[in-house]
Amino acid sequence: MKILSMASRNVVRNWRRTLVTTLAMGFAGFIMIFFAALTEGLLQTSERNAVSMNLGDVQIHAKGYRDDPDLYKRIDNAVDLVGKLQQAGFHATQRVYGFGLAAAGSTSAGVQLRGVNLTNEVTVTQIHQHVMQGDWLADTDPKGVVIGRKLARTLGVTPGNEVVIIGQATDGSMANDLYTVRGILKSISDDVDRAGFFMVEHAFRELMVLPQGAHEIAVMRHDHSRDLDSATAQVAALARGYETMNWRQLRPVIARILDLADAQTIIMILITYVAVAMIVLNAMLMSVFERIRELGIMKALGVTPWQLTLLVYAETMIQIVTASIIAFISGWSVAHYYQENGIDLSAIASSTSFGGVAMDPIWHAHVTTESVVIPIVFLFLIGAAAVIYPAIKAAIIQPVKAIHYHL
Amino acid sequence: MSRKRAKEILRQVDDMWRGDSSHTIFTMQVKTAHYTRSMRLEGWSKGKEKTLVRILVPLKEKGTATLKSRNSIYTYLPKTDRTIRLTSGMMMGSWMGSHFTNDDLVKESRMEDDYDPTISFEGQRNNQNIIEFTLIPKADAAVVWGKVVVTVLANGYLPIIQHYYDEDMNIARTMTFSNNKLLGGRLLPSVMRVVPADKPNEYTELVYEKLELDTKLGDAFFSLARLKRM
Repeated sequence: MKILSMASRNVVRNWRRTLVTTLAMGFAGFIMIFFAALTEGLLQTSERNAVSMNLGDVQIHAKGYRDDPDLYKRIDNAVDLVGKLQQAGFHATQRVYGFGLAAAGSTSAGVQLRGVNLTNEVTVTQIHQHVMQGDWLADTDPKGVVIGRKLARTLGVTPGNEVVIIGQATDGSMANDLYTVRGILKSISDDVDRAGFFMVEHAFRELMVLPQGAHEIAVMRHDHSRDLDSATAQVAALARGYETMNWRQLRPVIARILDLADAQTIIMILITYVAVAMIVLNAMLMSVFERIRELGIMKALGVTPWQLTLLVYAETMIQIVTASIIAFISGWSVAHYYQENGIDLSAIASSTSFGGVAMDPIWHAHVTTESVVIPIVFLFLIGAAAVIYPAIKAAIIQPVKAIHYHL
Repeated sequence: MSRKRAKEILRQVDDMWRGDSSHTIFTMQVKTAHYTRSMRLEGWSKGKEKTLVRILVPLKEKGTATLKSRNSIYTYLPKTDRTIRLTSGMMMGSWMGSHFTNDDLVKESRMEDDYDPTISFEGQRNNQNIIEFTLIPKADAAVVWGKVVVTVLANGYLPIIQHYYDEDMNIARTMTFSNNKLLGGRLLPSVMRVVPADKPNEYTELVYEKLELDTKLGDAFFSLARLKRM
């Protein structure tokens, strides 16, 4: 018996129903491929924003600094330690932090002053590439500062404007100086956007009277395929006496969201596909019931129950394969389009953040093999499961009853 | 009866330094775990709403001035020639590196306005005849303390010590007064020392060198323009 040719003939017999079922499956597949690619895009951006914009892979602080950041909790031998880390094959940079009040015109805002070592910072993070307006810091311009985008809006400044900083220096004196906004950053993270005030390291040290030490050392692996935990342990061994944590420990919420993302996509796929399964089940049951006499006669002519099951399955598979092709072509091309162009969310949300990590208002999809394969594989699995009942129904038909069956 | 008397005495204590207006020169010594710093300052006040303080020494900060006008604090920075109005977020920050907060400056008010006083002790203590008041903030008063205990000499009502308690009634800081001498024609404590309860080795000490009372200053003296011109 030529099951495949019979199946394809049966499929086009009621072509409207076939069309609706196939399109429903194809549409669901398309949506899921697009969804998976969007999720992947969101995850990649947030991981990139979290790690390569600011955190680095591993950070070192003086004990107690993270709970209660104050100027005096410092890593004393920061320069030596950075040198040792670089010799051990890491990228590393020292950072100095302080708090102050920034004022421009009649507005003012509390800021986190961040002294950046320009030579080392570029090896660890890519923040210098994320300047929205103006330029990144330069050693030749110690009075030039770069600030977060929300802070710029609060203060009402653009590159070229002056900002006064006042704060308390390490010797108790009133630190104050006049700076010029050199650049405004894109979204980095909630705290950087709202209060980030980046300045050249030596300008910070002069302002806050802080000749030595650093508050934070950020470390990045050369080779990103290297295990994060073993890298953390190696850094911790070099930075004995200080607190060493990797970005997963520093931002557990983001780490967990990233870990759960695959499971989340699969749950979404299952929910959507259950609806599709209902449609498939309904369509195939209908098609079995309306052919009950025909199937009965086939059985009377010697077709085995197994062959009837295969027939129903073949009919379903033809539709799923067609649906998969539709899903693949449309899903891949739409996802790919949004990978290139992004979805502009700036109209509905001026700034979006995700577990404390700021997102660009342009949401880019990211097409991976999994994001295409998983929705299609699940389409096959769900379709196959949905058609079990109609197939059994067809297989156990008793010829005599079937011939007398009235619709 | 005791409440009325308590209010009466506190009013006198409040008025001691202030008069209608005042002009003072004082030094401020600050000791913390991380730095010791000494400053000489000049201050003017009128009523309880207006205060102007500027730094005379050290040279690096000379001319830095703070103006308190009603509930706002402005700081003039000679290095940058800018005047900055402190935001509410800076209010709990340290004033010029001392153990006083900016909020202390704003909230510096008459005790009788914000607190309900009762006399909680009267008699001999440490060989001195003293009166001890317990001040509980009025329900609508915007103060940060849970209670303040003020001890004054029974004779002349010169303050000796004040204990400040936080809202959980734990001691937060102690202010002691000593070295009584003639200032502005009155006998007044010339040294005032604040010790935070959580850092007993730190302190801020104010030593009055000179105090003139009722100097007849006009309101225009306490203006932003004046802040810059000094």
